[in-house]
Amino acid sequence: MNPPETVVTEHLQETMEEMYVNMGPQHPSTHGVLRLMLKLDGEEVTAVIPYIGYLHRCHEKIGENRTYIQIIPYTDRLDYLASMYNNFGYVLAVERLMGLQVPERAEYMRVILAELQRIASHLIWMGTFGLDLGNFTIFMYCFREREKILDLFESVSGQRLNYSFYRIGGMPMDFPMTFLTDCKAFLEWFKPRLPEYDAVMTDNIIFQKRVQGLGKLDQKTAIDYAISGPMLRASGIKWDLRRNDPYSIYDRFDFDIPVGSAGDVWDRYMVRRIEMAESVKIVEQGLRALPPGEIMGKVPKKIKPPVGDIYSRVESPRGELGFYIVSDGSEKPYRYKVRAPTFVNLSVLPVIGPGHLIADMVAILGSIDIVLGEVDR
Amino acid sequence: MTPEEVIQAIGSQFGEAVKASEVKGVEARMDIDRGKGYEILAGLKGMGFDYLNCLSSVDRIASGELEAVYNLSSLREATKVLVRVRVPREDPVIRSVVSLWSTADWHEREAYDLMGIHFDGHPDLRRILTSEDWVGHPLRKDYQDERLVPYEPA
Repeated sequence: MNPPETVVTEHLQETMEEMYVNMGPQHPSTHGVLRLMLKLDGEEVTAVIPYIGYLHRCHEKIGENRTYIQIIPYTDRLDYLASMYNNFGYVLAVERLMGLQVPERAEYMRVILAELQRIASHLIWMGTFGLDLGNFTIFMYCFREREKILDLFESVSGQRLNYSFYRIGGMPMDFPMTFLTDCKAFLEWFKPRLPEYDAVMTDNIIFQKRVQGLGKLDQKTAIDYAISGPMLRASGIKWDLRRNDPYSIYDRFDFDIPVGSAGDVWDRYMVRRIEMAESVKIVEQGLRALPPGEIMGKVPKKIKPPVGDIYSRVESPRGELGFYIVSDGSEKPYRYKVRAPTFVNLSVLPVIGPGHLIADMVAILGSIDIVLGEVDR
Repeated sequence: MTPEEVIQAIGSQFGEAVKASEVKGVEARMDIDRGKGYEILAGLKGMGFDYLNCLSSVDRIASGELEAVYNLSSLREATKVLVRVRVPREDPVIRSVVSLWSTADWHEREAYDLMGIHFDGHPDLRRILTSEDWVGHPLRKDYQDERLVPYEPA
């Protein structure tokens, strides 16, 4: 049925109006509950307004009401895909504030687990990113490998997702006897899997054409927005806290830092893809050099850092994970602030999003690698 | 630029506005006056500290003040800077630094939302983590909410 003639003529005289469309909070590509207001001109996005906070639980207020040790399980829930790294960043901040020494073996254990976690985190990113773009095979591949890492973590900590495995001053228990052989077997099995991903994703011409040139982020904007992690490196800035502000024992390991050039979605993909291979190198070196000895340092029975404050940062799989802790000398932090990498990285979306099609927004958002547990805290 | 040089350069330029300063490792730490806060931060940016790592807020309830903490660094050298600005609780207004570092946008919105510091000149100062109709600023030490269950050790 044709509409009345008057309406048709009116419609033709008018210019195309821009309209707002909600993407989320329950959109599959947001990997959680994130709402994006898209201003659309036809199919093209002209503005992006992110609304966050759906998972907000005032993590920082909870932290102020807990003792330093009680906070560790809460940090697991920040970036729940890289819990080991949140534990790492938090205990490191408290150790730096108190000036604690961590035994050699515990440092190696920390690095080995942290780098396995980086692989697991990048795997889940790669899988879901492929899923966003309609590549279901890579999703199955990545989850298959991640499962094996979770098995390793389960054998170490008893948990598969929220490990709470790092302690202030060291590690709570040693690796189980089977861990070294299991871990080596996993690495040997994992290394030939990387070319499989290349066959399915990297060398796939459809995928390449789909993501190259999307969501470009230049170096100046990246620094202006304090972007960190793989996103910053994709823009061509060789900046990795493991190398540039070494913590723990990262200065003893030999690994490369991949950088991109254009800062588009493709570069972010490649940086993460190569980082997985680099993390494998670090784990191998760690396993070779793992010394015997104590795993817990000399830690006072009650954790009471001296009065003062500290900003401590680590390179989590998603970027610079910072903890700003103010101590008043008591058992609980006076102020406990988390600088979540994806909170900051997501804030650049209104800059890199506009000018693309709605379907490409999914790819751009996916390439930021957000975890809403950390964005909303 | 070493942390000592940073403190000296800022101190000689702004004098009285730097209330206290110390060097801790590679970090230069300064307590500065609100009146010259923006100028000092702009001066630090001019020195090459173009990366605003973090902007935190602290409730100094004992002295009746709120504090904003800026963590600055550069991607070229190791020196870091920590700047603290204190404002009275009755008049918690600080000039926004979004024009210096765009990343401050969401950080300032967060500090406004949770701590109630107003950033003068912010382009879009709305609540970010809590809902729009939320009452109060949860991270303040005197925040009261009947839904908040006090923690009692068993």
